[in-house]
Amino acid sequence: MKRYVSLVVVFILMPASAAWATELDELLEQSREAAYTAEQIISCSTPDGVRDAVVRIAQSSGEIRMTSTVAADIEVSSGDGGWTLSRQGGVISSASVDSEEMAPVEPLYVVEDAGSADFLGREVTVHQLIRDGVLRAALVFDDETGALVTATTFTASGDTYCERRFVSFDPTDPMLESPDFLEAEVLQPRSEVETLLPESVGGFDRLDFYEDEEGLRFAYYSDGFFSFAVFETPTIVAFPDAKTIQFGDAVYERTFTAGQVTYVWETRSGGMALLGDLPPDLHESVLATLPPPQDPGILRRLWRSLFG
Amino acid sequence: MTHPSELISAYLDGELIEDETSELFSHLATCGRCSADLEEMQSVRAAVRSLPVLELPAGLLPEADAVVVPIHRNRGVWVGAAAAAVALIIAIASIVTPPPASVSADDLSSRFGARASLDPAFSPAKVVVPVLGNLSE
Repeated sequence: MKRYVSLVVVFILMPASAAWATELDELLEQSREAAYTAEQIISCSTPDGVRDAVVRIAQSSGEIRMTSTVAADIEVSSGDGGWTLSRQGGVISSASVDSEEMAPVEPLYVVEDAGSADFLGREVTVHQLIRDGVLRAALVFDDETGALVTATTFTASGDTYCERRFVSFDPTDPMLESPDFLEAEVLQPRSEVETLLPESVGGFDRLDFYEDEEGLRFAYYSDGFFSFAVFETPTIVAFPDAKTIQFGDAVYERTFTAGQVTYVWETRSGGMALLGDLPPDLHESVLATLPPPQDPGILRRLWRSLFG
Repeated sequence: MTHPSELISAYLDGELIEDETSELFSHLATCGRCSADLEEMQSVRAAVRSLPVLELPAGLLPEADAVVVPIHRNRGVWVGAAAAAVALIIAIASIVTPPPASVSADDLSSRFGARASLDPAFSPAKVVVPVLGNLSE
């Protein structure tokens, strides 16, 4: 692992060769269109300890399949607004979002070309993402296919938050078939909503808002690179391994996985949850602009547990 | 050892015959638990009896002026009735109302993943990893 970390450091220390700024959307679009199979190491240094995983990835025509090396029977299928988590072929959870009329994301990042390098025997180009003068990510793209082979994200103080790196790469098209997301209700973005969720949170814009048949509501926020969703749930969602975290007077339950942070808390009107890939230094400022934790009282809690 | 709690209760109600009273006191002589129970029940009954007996203000209900209402008896009835009413409402509501849909962490991750997959910044290098394993565990 040290070898990979030092490689990233080399990438970062490379002088920005220049002077042309590439559009982030263009780079990411090329990466989405690439076809390949790969094995990826994800390692995140979180305030609650290291979270890491090894994932096998196959991507073709915008479709993605991911399987774990430690739980081979689990598979994630994704693409075009669909997401299915399955175990041994049986669907555990599935969701689908209408892909039409998506709000455009205004990239807030300056993209700098940080030079070329050799990675896994292939020529790659390194790009740095800078927001408000702070380096937030280093992205390494395969020159031939455009695939994003390494992505390292940083906290505001320059510490590495997450590193996601291919350790094997085969640019052969795996010819994936489009998965069946029909089991899931297709959620439509709602234009007129009554919600306590603000339109802007700590520099992140609320792009759209959804509500499903079960009354589960969520908004999606992005700053053009990092993103998160905020859920309004009928009851608080329990995470068995969650850690209690306090920001000021507000108390949350938090859990990290490799690449994702989740906060859950309770309000008088129900439960709330935040899921996303935010670096830890942004957590407190984002949570501070959302409805705060509130004790609903024993009667509300009893009523909610009975009737939702 | 069996503990004749029903004998204690009947004794306090004055319902025991002589032989039963002798039997109870023989047991109490060797059983600290029942002695303590008897003492506690006696003190509770004494406390209840010491509650004030209230009379309705004269003229409030002319036809009831002569009736003295021992409040400690009626209070139990009303509290019981209120509790029964609340229990009935909850029972009926729980029957006619479907239970709240349970939401799991996987449900939240799937919805986030579905929406994130439309994000231009979405890629395998950014995608959420819900349960694909943690090497540190």
